[in-house]
Amino acid sequence: MSDNHQNNYLTYPKGIMSWLLTLDHKRIGLMYLFGGMFFFFLAGAIALIMRYVLATPEADFVTNDQYNSMYTLHGAIMIFLFIIPAIPGALGNILLPLMLGARDVAFPRLNLFSFYLYSLGAVFVIYTILAGGVDTGWTFYTPYSTTSTTNVIPMTLGIFIIGFSSILTGLNFIATIHKMRIKGLTWYKLPLFVWALYGTSLVQITATPVIAITMVLLILERLLGIGIFDPALGGDPVLFQHFFWFYSHPAVYIMILPAFGIISEIIPVHSRKKVWGYKFIAYSTLSIAFIGFLVWGHHMFTSGQSVFSQIVFSFITYFVGIPTGIKIFSWMLTMYRGQVSFTPPMLYALSFLFLFTIGGLTGIFLGAVALDIHLHDTYFVVAHFHYVMQGGTIVAFLGGLHHWWPKSFGTMYNQTIANICAIGVFIGFNGTFFPQFLLGLRGMPRRYATYDNLGSEALVEQYAATHSYSTFWSGILGLSIFISVVNLLWSLRKNNKLDPGTNPWGALTMEWTHTTSPPHPHNFEEEPVLTHGPYDYDKVLVKPTLKRK
Amino acid sequence: MSEHHHITPLKIYFRVAGILFFLTAVTVWVSYVDLGFLNIVIALLIAGTKATIVALFFMHLLWDDKKNLTAFVLSLMFLAIFIIITMSDTEFRGAINPEIKDPINKRAAFYDSLPLTDDHGNPIHEDGSHESGDKDDHH
Repeated sequence: MSDNHQNNYLTYPKGIMSWLLTLDHKRIGLMYLFGGMFFFFLAGAIALIMRYVLATPEADFVTNDQYNSMYTLHGAIMIFLFIIPAIPGALGNILLPLMLGARDVAFPRLNLFSFYLYSLGAVFVIYTILAGGVDTGWTFYTPYSTTSTTNVIPMTLGIFIIGFSSILTGLNFIATIHKMRIKGLTWYKLPLFVWALYGTSLVQITATPVIAITMVLLILERLLGIGIFDPALGGDPVLFQHFFWFYSHPAVYIMILPAFGIISEIIPVHSRKKVWGYKFIAYSTLSIAFIGFLVWGHHMFTSGQSVFSQIVFSFITYFVGIPTGIKIFSWMLTMYRGQVSFTPPMLYALSFLFLFTIGGLTGIFLGAVALDIHLHDTYFVVAHFHYVMQGGTIVAFLGGLHHWWPKSFGTMYNQTIANICAIGVFIGFNGTFFPQFLLGLRGMPRRYATYDNLGSEALVEQYAATHSYSTFWSGILGLSIFISVVNLLWSLRKNNKLDPGTNPWGALTMEWTHTTSPPHPHNFEEEPVLTHGPYDYDKVLVKPTLKRK
Repeated sequence: MSEHHHITPLKIYFRVAGILFFLTAVTVWVSYVDLGFLNIVIALLIAGTKATIVALFFMHLLWDDKKNLTAFVLSLMFLAIFIIITMSDTEFRGAINPEIKDPINKRAAFYDSLPLTDDHGNPIHEDGSHESGDKDDHH
């Protein structure tokens, strides 16, 4: 054991400072992973409390103000501290240089700085929670956010800082992908996860400055009353929504594009088949990234924006369906006639295909102006974006985590438990959120702690029945995710190491074929030489090997 | 890239500076001439030309790796997308409902001169009595 401890980035170098001051992309990735998971569990716990409150028409043990604070924190923490940084920050950091055959990212110090910016932003968010929360909703719409007496400024300042972390990660990844590929690794030989990170990074550096300036304007509006969003001073509150969604709609693609990348890796590996439509998947990533900039107004159909721009935004919104559909069909055709094995990562990828398709198609409902007027701010919207963000991004993240866990830690979790949890996540998720489509269609508004005073006993009963059903399954969902993470962590126990040369899924991307699990501190013991493409299952015979030490 | 580093002759810097001073003079001069709606167009054209030659010559984008120029132009393009599409809202707000046509800032002072109304736009008299009827019917 001790003879090769220097070949393992987890054990060499030693000491707490070697982690805190590390320039190793893999260690930084792990710090993002554990930071992100902490906030995921925090915001997830808040969600479960809210579901418990909603099971009955009356608010049980929270006040309306506390409830307002809870949904704001759930949304803001999940989005800004977990979903946006999780896949690029954690899996992206660990895998990108390995997939390119590079020793590290282009700017290792900048990478560490991004992590510390993320941590500093997180400190502001934690301060916000301890100081009593914030009640504006994660969107901080004016005019309410300019007058609310809760902690709007620390929260928005936190988001401002986290935004810079996101920009720097994007910048780092773009430079890395352009400059650090090994010889012969041309653009069309890159793994599709790298294309996905590239598209994500472009959006991160072009859109994120806008959320930064929006948050600064909001802070200045609160502190100095500059009036840019205040009609009495010649401003326009709807302008805030334009600013906000010019970032936050592309940010939806910052959240989902890396998930697409993970699915594009998992499906060919676990189907033993070359990915179908490589260039289509690669270019659809870039076109989604671009179209994502043209559709922000579909969040604002009831804001009082002009009818003309509603038509423009609604029309352009449908275009998002084209590249997304291309991806879904390409993945399905990749599986067609492949040897599909139902491993935990593959079960998550299959869940993703179902859940994301439902999420995407209901997005088309909401992109239609006439229908959106009815569905706006109802549980239909809540269900839609959870299908996309949780059913899409988080399910893909869990799939990626299970796929690359043996690579990152050199251990294998109990696959039977992981499979049961993956099925539990799928069923629990649908049980939680499908009823919310029905609630929304029947008019249940979102962001209310109570629904006991509707003037119709029958309606209250209907809502209560559907809500309590949703709450029951949210418990199953939470439990499944919790057990799956415990299962992963339990694999880290002593004497459970895999043989360093193991390739449990028989994958062909460079992080599996050219280095050990866990990788060498400098990624590759010798200069890697490109021998095959990432999905050449038709040319190269590679068998899954799972050897324990 | 350093082996291809371009050294610009001093002459070009002075010429570009001369053009910038000249265009500044034109800006000042043109501000005394009233050309109607063209005022803003011409002012922006001159400013845009100046910014372009600063970026090309002083910032070396003309000789640099063209990726830098692409990034610069793309950033302008994204700004244009943001402003133009937002204007598809602000410029067309009155198309269906003339009430919201005017930019809100023109109506800001106007709020003060309006009579008191309740939530439905019905006037409230000083003595507290209400006048019924829906205000929206009178447009």
